[in-house]
Amino acid sequence: MNRPLACSGCHVTASTQPAPSPPDHAAAEPRKVARNVPRVFSAATFGFAAAGVLSAPLVAGFGQMALGDRLGLASGLATVLAVLAGGLVALLGGLLGAMAGRRIGFYEIGSAVLLLLAVLLGPVLVTVRGQHAAGLAIAAWEAQGSLVVVLGLILTGALAGTFAFIGASAGYLLFGSGRFDPSLSYELFVAKSHLRLAPRTLFGLFLLVVTGIVPGLLVALAWSYRRERAQRRAERRGEMALRPRMPATLLMTLISIGGVAIGVWALTVVLSVMSGFEGDLKAKILGTRAHGMLQKYGQNDFSEWRQVRQQVLAVPGVVGATPFIYNEVMLSADQNLTGTLLEAIDPRTVGTVIDLPRTIQEGKLDYLEHPEQIPPSPERRGTDALFGEPPPKKSEPSRKADVAPKTDTAPKGAEGPPLGPAPSSGRATPPKVMPGIIVGREMAHALRVFVGDTVNVISPLGELGPSGPQPKSRAFRVAAVFYSGMYEYDSKFAYIELTEAQRFFGTGQSVTGLEIKVRDVDEARPILRRVLAALEGYPYRVRDWGELNRNLFSALMMEKVVMAVILAFIVLVASFIIVATLIMQVLDKRREIAVLKSMGAGEPSVMKIFVAEGIVIGAVGTVFGLILGFGTCLLIDKVGIPLDPEVYYISNLPVRMDPVEFVLVAVLALALSYLATLYPASKASRLEPVEGLRSE
Amino acid sequence: MDSAPSFALAAGGSPLLAVRGLVKTYLMPPEKPGAPPRIVEVLRGLDLDIAPGEMVGLTGQSGSGKSTFLNVIGALDHPTAGQVLFEGEDVFSRAAGGLAIFRNETVGFIFQSHHLLPEFTALENAMMPGLIRRLARSEARQAALEMLSRVGLAERMDHKPGELSGGEQQRVALARALCLRPRLLLADEPTGNLDPATADGIHRLLTELNAALGITMVIVTHNERLAEALPRRLRLSAGCLV
Repeated sequence: MNRPLACSGCHVTASTQPAPSPPDHAAAEPRKVARNVPRVFSAATFGFAAAGVLSAPLVAGFGQMALGDRLGLASGLATVLAVLAGGLVALLGGLLGAMAGRRIGFYEIGSAVLLLLAVLLGPVLVTVRGQHAAGLAIAAWEAQGSLVVVLGLILTGALAGTFAFIGASAGYLLFGSGRFDPSLSYELFVAKSHLRLAPRTLFGLFLLVVTGIVPGLLVALAWSYRRERAQRRAERRGEMALRPRMPATLLMTLISIGGVAIGVWALTVVLSVMSGFEGDLKAKILGTRAHGMLQKYGQNDFSEWRQVRQQVLAVPGVVGATPFIYNEVMLSADQNLTGTLLEAIDPRTVGTVIDLPRTIQEGKLDYLEHPEQIPPSPERRGTDALFGEPPPKKSEPSRKADVAPKTDTAPKGAEGPPLGPAPSSGRATPPKVMPGIIVGREMAHALRVFVGDTVNVISPLGELGPSGPQPKSRAFRVAAVFYSGMYEYDSKFAYIELTEAQRFFGTGQSVTGLEIKVRDVDEARPILRRVLAALEGYPYRVRDWGELNRNLFSALMMEKVVMAVILAFIVLVASFIIVATLIMQVLDKRREIAVLKSMGAGEPSVMKIFVAEGIVIGAVGTVFGLILGFGTCLLIDKVGIPLDPEVYYISNLPVRMDPVEFVLVAVLALALSYLATLYPASKASRLEPVEGLRSE
Repeated sequence: MDSAPSFALAAGGSPLLAVRGLVKTYLMPPEKPGAPPRIVEVLRGLDLDIAPGEMVGLTGQSGSGKSTFLNVIGALDHPTAGQVLFEGEDVFSRAAGGLAIFRNETVGFIFQSHHLLPEFTALENAMMPGLIRRLARSEARQAALEMLSRVGLAERMDHKPGELSGGEQQRVALARALCLRPRLLLADEPTGNLDPATADGIHRLLTELNAALGITMVIVTHNERLAEALPRRLRLSAGCLV
C-alpha cells in the first residue's frame, strides 16, 4: 500500500508546482477550528479576586476592633492577627479566582487592587475637595497629614494584592491542571538535579558565610590556587587532568543562598540586639521604678495610705506596695549643685516594690532608719592612706571607695575632727545626728560625695519669711550610693526616709501615693484596673509603667520597626538574586522543559519545578541565616561585646532572642523567595515546547 | 498488515488519527524594520487518516515540514487551521491542561537527538512519564524496567546518558516514549544520528514493538532504504503530501 491514502488538500500537481496553488486552496477554503483558547481577562477570576481584595481591609478593620476591643488582646497582637485575617481573605479570593480561571490572573488581581485603591482613596479625595468635613477619613486626614493617610491606604492595597497574588499562584499550582494536584513527585526530583546542591557544596558555602567574606574568600583563593597548580603540574608532565568545573547556574544558586542567609542573619541579629536593649531598659526601668502608681486626683491629702495599702495588697496579682513622696529639690555639696527628684521611701517595704536594696553599691539601706550608724566620710580615710595607715573597716562595698580618692582630688577635710561625721564643707559639724540620704552613682560623682559625706537638700517650697517665701535647707548624710544602670536614674534620683520627708516638707501623715508591684509586668494594666475597682475609683487613679514611660518605649518600638524594614531590604535584594538565578536556570533548561512538556508535563507542573527550586534556595538560605543568627546572638550573649559604659551606660551589648521574631523573619524570607520564583517559573511554564526542542 | 488498514478505512472503520485540512503558517519578523512580517507556510492543508496499529513512514526533503507535521499531530504545536482528530475527538478543542494530558497518555515522542535528561540514569529517564502521570514511584519504576528490558537495556539502567552509546541512548529514549504504552508513537528521524548498523537495529526494534504491542507509529526518516521497509510510506513536499 504505497499510495497516499488521503491527501485531499493537495492537488497532485502541487508536487511539481508547489508555489501557486496550495495557498489559493487554503485561502479559498479556510476551515474554522473550534479551539479552546481562554480569555485574557476572566470575569470569574476578577470577581473572586475583587471580592477577596476588597473585603480584606474590612475584615482586618473589624478584626482589629473585635480582637482588640472586645477580647482585650494587646494592641500589637490584635493588629497582627487582624492583618493576617484580612490577608487570608485576600489569599482565599486569589485562590478561588485562580481555580476558576486556571490561571494566576495577573490582570484580574491588578484590576482588583486598582479598584480597592479607588474605593479607599476616592472618598478621602472627594471629602477633602468638597470640604464636607465628616467621617473618619477626614479626621484622620487632618490629624495625621495627608501623606501618611495616602501612604497607609496604598500600603493596604499593596498588602491585599500581595496576599491575593500568593493565593492565586498557589491556586494555580495546585489546581491549574484541572484537578487538585498537590504532588511534587517528579518536580522536586528535577529541581534537585537543577540545583545540584551536594551536602559538600552546601557545607563549603556555609563555612564561607560563617568565616565572613574576607577570610572565606582567602580560603577559596588558596583552594583554587592549589587546584590550578596541580593542573599545571599535570600539564607539564603531559598527563591528563580532569578539572571539575562549577556550572554557572550552581554558582548563581550558591550566591543567592548566601544572599538570603546574610539577610536573615542580619535581620535576626539586629532584632535580637534591639530586643536586648529594650529588655535591658525595661528591666532597669521596672527595677528602679514601680510597675504602677496609685495617686489621688488633685487633693494633697493622702494620709489614709496605710489602710489603702492593705486594700491594694489584697488585690490578686499585686505583690507589693509602698508609700512614697515626690519632691523636686536641689542638692548641694560644697560648690557642686544638682537638681534632684527626691523620693521619700519606707525602707521596710520599698524592697517589695523596687530593686533599690539590690542596686546599692556602697552603704546600706538600713542607714536611712539608723543614720547614727553611717560610717565616717572617706576623706578621713584618704588622709589616713596618705599617712600609710590601713583603711578603716567599713561596710561591704569598699572597692569603689578605694578607687574614689583618686577622682576626688580635693582632700579638704584634713583639718576636720578625727572622729564623728566628717564635714564636707568648712562649716562646723552639727551636733545632732543628721538623717541619711541615698543618691545615685552619677549624682555622687557630680557632687563628689561618698558615703558619710554631707549634702544639703534645698527645697523651694519653704515657709514664708519676712521677704516672701524662703527656701528650706537641711543637711543630710550620704547613707548609700545606688547604681541602677540607667543614667537618668543614677544622676537624678535621691531617696530619703519617709517620716523624715514628712517632717521636712511638712506634709504630716500624707504621702504622694503608693508604688505598686505586680506579679506579671505585662499584666500590669488589667491588675491596676482591678486595684482601682477595689478602691471604688475616684478620687484614686492608677498609671502603669507603660503610661509612665510611654515616649521611651514607643521610640524604641519605632526604631525597631524602622530597622527591621531597612534590613528586610537585604532579604528583598537577595530575592532579586533568586529571580536572576531562576531566569538563568530557565534559559539553561529550555530543552529540558520542552522534553518534559512533550512527555505530558502540564504548565502548572513545570512551574512547580522552578517554584520548588526557588523555595529550596530560600529555605536553605533561611536555615543558614537562622543558624548564623542564633550562633551570633549566643556568641554576643556568652562572650559579650564590651561597650563603653560611659557612653552607652551598658557594659555589654545586650541581646535577647525572641522565637517569635525568628519565626517572623523566616516567614518573611520564605514568602519573598516564593514571590521571587513566580515570574521566572511562569515564564518557564509558558515556554513553547517546539522552541525548546529546536534550540540546540 | 499491508492492506488491512486501507480495507478498514475503505469500509468506514474509524481511523485512530485523522488530519483534516491541516495548515501551519509561521509569522517571521520582517527583514527590514517597518516591512510587513513575512509569512512562511509550512503545511498547506493536509488530509490524512491513520488506522490503529499502522506503521507509517514519512519522508521528504529538509524543510518540507515533516517535523512540524509531527509536532502538530503530537499536540506539541498548534495548527494555524484544520483539525487533528484522535479517535474522532478534536485534540485542539481541549484546554491547555488537556493537551498535556493527551501528550502524556496517548503520545510517545522520540527525537533525532535522544533528548534524555543528562542528570538522570537511564531508569530515571524512562520513569519520568510515569512520574508525570503521578503514578507511584514503584509503579513507574516497574513500567520503566519492563520497557528497558524489552529494548535490551535492563542491565544498563543505572547509567547516565553520557555513559551510553548513541544506539543505547536512542533505545532508552524509545523505552521512555513507550513505557506508558501510548497509542501513538511519533519518531522524528530516530536514526538520523546513528551509523547504518545501529540504525538498522533501532528500526528492527521499532518493527518488533509495533507488531508486539500494536502501537501505531509515524516515523519521519531521511533514510530511503529504511523507509522502503515500512509498510506505508508518505512523502511530504513543500507542505503537501504526495
